[in-house]
Amino acid sequence: MSEATNEYVSRSLLPVTVRRATVTGRFYLVYGTVISLLLGVVLAHFSAPSFASSFPLFLPIFGVVGSMGGLVVFTSDRTKGVLEYLLAYGYSPRRLFANVLLTTVVLVSIVVGIAVSASLGAYSAEGHSVTSTLAIGLGVYAIPMTYACAAFASTVGVYWTALASPRQGMNSPVGLIPFVGILPALITLFVIIGIERSGPLSATSLLVVLGSAIGAVATFVIVLLGSMGRLLRRERLLSAA
Amino acid sequence: MNSSTRPPDSPVSTGRNVEIDCRSVTAGYLGSRVLHQISFRISEPSIYVVLGPNGAGKTTLFRTLAGILRPYEGEVFIGGEPVDRQSSRNRLHYLTHMDGLPDGLTVREALEFFGRAEGAKSRDVDRVLDQLEIRDLSAKFPSQLSAGQRKRVSIARVFLHERSIYLLDEPTANLDPKVAREIRELILKLSREKIVLYSSHNLYEAREIGRYVLVIKSGQISRFDRIENVRGSRFILGIRVLQPSPALAAYDHEGDYYLRELSGPEEVPSVLRDLMAQGVQIREAREMENPLEDLFK
Repeated sequence: MSEATNEYVSRSLLPVTVRRATVTGRFYLVYGTVISLLLGVVLAHFSAPSFASSFPLFLPIFGVVGSMGGLVVFTSDRTKGVLEYLLAYGYSPRRLFANVLLTTVVLVSIVVGIAVSASLGAYSAEGHSVTSTLAIGLGVYAIPMTYACAAFASTVGVYWTALASPRQGMNSPVGLIPFVGILPALITLFVIIGIERSGPLSATSLLVVLGSAIGAVATFVIVLLGSMGRLLRRERLLSAA
Repeated sequence: MNSSTRPPDSPVSTGRNVEIDCRSVTAGYLGSRVLHQISFRISEPSIYVVLGPNGAGKTTLFRTLAGILRPYEGEVFIGGEPVDRQSSRNRLHYLTHMDGLPDGLTVREALEFFGRAEGAKSRDVDRVLDQLEIRDLSAKFPSQLSAGQRKRVSIARVFLHERSIYLLDEPTANLDPKVAREIRELILKLSREKIVLYSSHNLYEAREIGRYVLVIKSGQISRFDRIENVRGSRFILGIRVLQPSPALAAYDHEGDYYLRELSGPEEVPSVLRDLMAQGVQIREAREMENPLEDLFK
């Protein structure tokens, strides 16, 4: 046997976690990517105005669904005692949570990257040009909100998983968190609709609403991550004794 | 802590370095205390069997020694360093009672995953696949393995790296007798130079492989001693014979065994000599009750 001399906690878990997430969470990844891709391509083909107004609204929903793999791995690792090993190896709970969050970011990048590039490709192939509405919808709302919602879902899911008794399946956080994850996007939409009822929303007001929504979600995620050491004790990550 | 809490040839008396130093440790989960003021020191390479009823605190002790749980009171030192230092963690291996095999990875990939976390090389994984005779499982996923195969793979990870301390929480639970024996043999080889803390519910296994016994009851150490010093409240000799004999008429009978209560194991040779002198053909003689059972009473 070789004697270990390295400080092994410096080793990143991210590449292998991403690979595991794409295997164990493949249903979510494929579903989120394919549905958002199909919606984008179909809307681009049949109705350019619908594409510009609807596609940015759909993207966060399917982005959240597609990025569930990170949480699937975390839930499974907690239930099966893998997290216990990683704690014994010296990985801190914060590092394990950050690993889930980064994995989620990678997965959501896959969904967003494929869906947006293919949909915009189809949109352009139909002879449409990218309007300012579409550019703002995607660049200011859809893409940042997709990342924010996915990070929100992932962080809340980690808390929920750690605080709940170990379980898997549809009644587990993994089964329910997509519904929670899309809440920021839905609330933002309702706010926009509510404001528009009293009159047309100016571009500036829209940017303020969207920026505030994304900022609020980002702040929430950062506060939760920063509070993990205090709110979630190490024993929350252990399997049943 | 009573006088038997420290092994007779503890490091203090032999001049060895103390490898595990548990000082008045109180630990548990979410504020609920499971271990209460536990203290012991270990330095001699050997197998230390940790016994105790369910819920006594064995797993909590292992988790605390591994640095997973932080004590509410007291301190744990590994090799003279606080257990939360990376240098301490690098001195020990911990095997949980769970298989702990990650989903989405084959057996080989799982070993590489754990090995990478510890800095093992690919050749270490190959060596362990051969050593544990699991190379034929290397392309399978955990969900495709039997409980025994999963346990074997789980145990394999502790052989990826050499450590001075091994904390093995029920390593042979749910294994068939053949595999359990093979695992025990591997652990026995390991213990020639290493400290192995080994929890088990199997008292016969504990007696077979352990040199020391550490008994936990209600979160406290009720005994820490050499196993050979643990004597039952009575010694029952069981004898199986090839042919019934009138010389055994005074013996009690249980199944194939003729039973006789003796004052202690030192009386066995003379009893057997007497029986053989009377023409009794003895097939087997054994102690019928495991003295470790008394530790649970």
